[in-house]
Amino acid sequence: MMLTAPGAGIIILFAWLSPSNALYFHIGETEKKCFIEEIPDETMVIGKYRTQLWDKQMGSFLQATPGLGMHVEIKDPDTKIILSRQYGSDGRFTFTSHTPGEHQICLHSNSTKMALFAGGKLRVHLDIQVGEHTNNYPEIAAKDKLTELQLRARQLLDQVEQIQKEQNYQQYREERFRMTSESTNQHVLWWSIAQTLILIVTGIWQLKHLKSFFEAKKLV
Amino acid sequence: MYSYHGTIRVLVQVLWAHLLCGWTFGSELTFELPDNAKQCFYEDITIGTKCTLEFQVVTGGHYDVDCRLEDADGTVLYKEMKKQYDSFTFTAAKNGTYKFCFSNEFSTFTHKTVYFDFQVGEDPPLFPNENRVTALTQMESACVSIHEALKSVIDYQTHFRLREAQGRSRAEDLNTRVAFWSIGEAFILLVVSISQVVLLRSFFSDRKTTTTRVGS
Repeated sequence: MMLTAPGAGIIILFAWLSPSNALYFHIGETEKKCFIEEIPDETMVIGKYRTQLWDKQMGSFLQATPGLGMHVEIKDPDTKIILSRQYGSDGRFTFTSHTPGEHQICLHSNSTKMALFAGGKLRVHLDIQVGEHTNNYPEIAAKDKLTELQLRARQLLDQVEQIQKEQNYQQYREERFRMTSESTNQHVLWWSIAQTLILIVTGIWQLKHLKSFFEAKKLV
Repeated sequence: MYSYHGTIRVLVQVLWAHLLCGWTFGSELTFELPDNAKQCFYEDITIGTKCTLEFQVVTGGHYDVDCRLEDADGTVLYKEMKKQYDSFTFTAAKNGTYKFCFSNEFSTFTHKTVYFDFQVGEDPPLFPNENRVTALTQMESACVSIHEALKSVIDYQTHFRLREAQGRSRAEDLNTRVAFWSIGEAFILLVVSISQVVLLRSFFSDRKTTTTRVGS
């Protein structure tokens, strides 16, 4: 049964909403929390977060706080900043990787009112989806008007594409690993030879020098 | 007539969307744990949900971390010290907020990178009106089994990627260590051999007169 336009619209709206039951953690006022995502290139990453501030009087976390913002900074494997933006207390950020490797997603709060943080705790709900998990299948089904079977096939194709990208990335990393190992091997080989030579040369020099020294001193 | 059917359909889909928000997805994160630090994560779980916590230390020190999982009342469900990799499955016996913490408090100067995957419940189904009672056609059930197989392939790939990252980090450490120590040792060798000669010369230069006196 195909999805109707208003139904799909409402589903899309819900998909955009911040996660209500996602994992959460506590963060201090000036604390910066970073997460690492090691991904192949041309992979999309969607992050959603929701913040709640600790209310000392009520002894619980507030639902939403105006004036509270989170600064999101994303660095690529070459430590170049690809996204550095201020979002509100609820936010959604997205980026696509152009180089394979470790991307770093950092969050820190940037509250305008310092008094807000008197309690010292901020609860952050975070949900990061990578690759084919970012695809919103009901939206795709509505947009391309796919039947159930076609949608399932599309999901499988996306999964296989993700696997393929990861395998390519694996090949690139294995090459780096091999280069590092061979460099270590070369280091060990040449430095061992060099050290043995230094040892022999200094030994010979020591003996020659001392012999001539003693002969000069008329002890030998 | 159309509007009635249309409204019912929209309502069903809205209800499903609500359900979708209720489905808890799995969370997979990699974070850095500084030395002497502890990081806790919390999740609200409903009773009867099957959950799995899996973690692995990717880089840092002896590649070990303390992990502790507590349920809503604070009862410790899982506690391991200095573990490199583990996987723990449990069924939630109570409603509430479950907490799991990773601690690097035993380490003085190495910070660790920890990967964890916390799966709560099942993945949401692809279709709104799919209930488990209706039979799937052969094609659809083939698609479902391929999907499950591919999910396990992706899971294996993740594990392989983490192991490879660990191996590569050790290899790079080894490489820098070998380079520095080799240069250092060659330098020490030269310094020691030259200073040996100099020291020996200084012994003989001072005591030349005393030895001759003793001799005669």
